[in-house]
Amino acid sequence: MICPRCDTDKVELMAKSPVGNAWEMYICKTCTYSWRSTETPNKTDPKLYNAKFKIKPESIPSMLVIPPVPPLKG
Amino acid sequence: MSEAGLKDIQIPSGKTGSTKAYHDLRSFLATLEAEGQLVRVKDEVDPEEIGAAGRASANLKNGPAVLFEKVKGYANPVVTNVHGSWANHALMMGMDKDTPVKEQFLELSRRWDLYPVGPKRVTNAPVNENTVTENINIFDIISLYRINTYDSGCFLSKACIVSADPEDPTSYGKTNLGTYRMQVKGKDKLGIQALPFHDIGLQLSKAEALNQPVPIAICLGCDPITTFMASTPIRYDQSEYDYVGALNNGVPMEITKSATLGLEIPAGCEICIEGYIEPRLRECEGPFGEFPGSYSGARLQAVVRITAISYRTNPVFENLYLGIPWSEIDYLMALNTSVPLYKMLKDTFPEVQAVNAMYTHGIGVIVSTKVRFGGFGKAVAMRLLTTPHGMAYNKIIIVVDEYVDPFNLEQVMWAMTTRVDPDKDVSIIKNCPGMPLDPSSNPPGMHNKLIIDATTPKAPEVVSRETELLTPPAGTEKWEGIIAQLVKAARK
Ligand SMILES: [Zn+2]
Repeated sequence: MICPRCDTDKVELMAKSPVGNAWEMYICKTCTYSWRSTETPNKTDPKLYNAKFKIKPESIPSMLVIPPVPPLKG
Repeated sequence: MSEAGLKDIQIPSGKTGSTKAYHDLRSFLATLEAEGQLVRVKDEVDPEEIGAAGRASANLKNGPAVLFEKVKGYANPVVTNVHGSWANHALMMGMDKDTPVKEQFLELSRRWDLYPVGPKRVTNAPVNENTVTENINIFDIISLYRINTYDSGCFLSKACIVSADPEDPTSYGKTNLGTYRMQVKGKDKLGIQALPFHDIGLQLSKAEALNQPVPIAICLGCDPITTFMASTPIRYDQSEYDYVGALNNGVPMEITKSATLGLEIPAGCEICIEGYIEPRLRECEGPFGEFPGSYSGARLQAVVRITAISYRTNPVFENLYLGIPWSEIDYLMALNTSVPLYKMLKDTFPEVQAVNAMYTHGIGVIVSTKVRFGGFGKAVAMRLLTTPHGMAYNKIIIVVDEYVDPFNLEQVMWAMTTRVDPDKDVSIIKNCPGMPLDPSSNPPGMHNKLIIDATTPKAPEVVSRETELLTPPAGTEKWEGIIAQLVKAARK
């Protein structure tokens, strides 16, 4: 399975619906995007995911860190 | 989960127009329902429809809370828009649902001064009826859903987060209550936005310097004043719980120990998630549709590991929609932003009558004040810009005379159109602290400020023309009564 947002294949099953077999939820281990199998294709299909919200995996390490990690004491 | 979770949730019957304090969410939902301010959706809904319903209800004048009894694939109900109208806001304070906003403001301001009202400690709180510590799966208990289309996942948008001092986790005085957005990242894992200027940001920084985890309890579905207080800016050394008692008109808040970590939590909450913020770890979080009406970007943010979940039987998941104002969050953060700013201003300028800081969390503010001499209105605005909260949040400040109701925008526009000489009454103060979530803040965290002094000029300022205000003709009040009666009769 491919992540709709960052197009990597490091996707895991996050949860199955607790009642019935209604849906599954998946999460991308690269960008932490998650989605439900029953959502519309603009949220689940890598080809239809809004380009403005796509994330390049190589951009993740240089994202702003909130809050900054302080230096270790002692 | 048992089938019981799918049945109608039982909420006790409420009292109309009572001034009672609510100790849990369910008793408040009962009042809302009795007052026509809560609707139930009995048919099964898709989880991702709940955000749309929250948006829709906030679009209505005095929109109700919406309770979803059956959410597809889940065991438990969801409620949204609980604070999402002035009627619900008034009912939260035990006032009549038609109470005007300025009256709600003045009542809140009066109760504010009752601080501190210490809490009552209780045992056997309903939230500790059920506790899971192994094979934790948040989806079993909470009916999670995506709020806005390009949110990076399901978010808790209305969680009351209790965080402890890492060195003294059971200390009442060092316990903090706040609302921070949380992204669901696994069955037992969450992301948290802890901005450096938030109290939890301070605690995290202190713990991370020692490579220690921060114990937290994430409480969902609290009584309405506790949720209100969790998003109220107060000083780090003040207690949110002691304010809840004050805002409930002197009725102490009920707190209890969380099931496994022993943190002091709101006893009336529906669900309590316990866990730790992992030290020195950051992970991709967001975007998330935020209160300025646009998405915040993806950032590297802190991570929470869940160690236990406790919950009332058939827990109701309370969450809010946020989007282009106004939505529920704008009601929730309206008067609790206005009153603290009013108190800070009033401290040095007793002439100030009221502060309306409810435009995008205080980015826009209207101050009503008596004017003692020329330039006074502008001085009041500059004082606001040097208060701890106003310094970063307030950007556009309008000052009006004491007889203008700052919560009545028609009156404010009247003051602006008839009192402002753009050449002398409009000032821009460059290069000040700003609110990073404001998309016009450039660079994020910096701002130029705008002051519009719409008060009537006073000496020694040159007063070129006297202003003689109109007063209502004699008999106006009598006629208000007569016309109201006639309208009522005509509608029968
Ligand atoms: Zn991804």
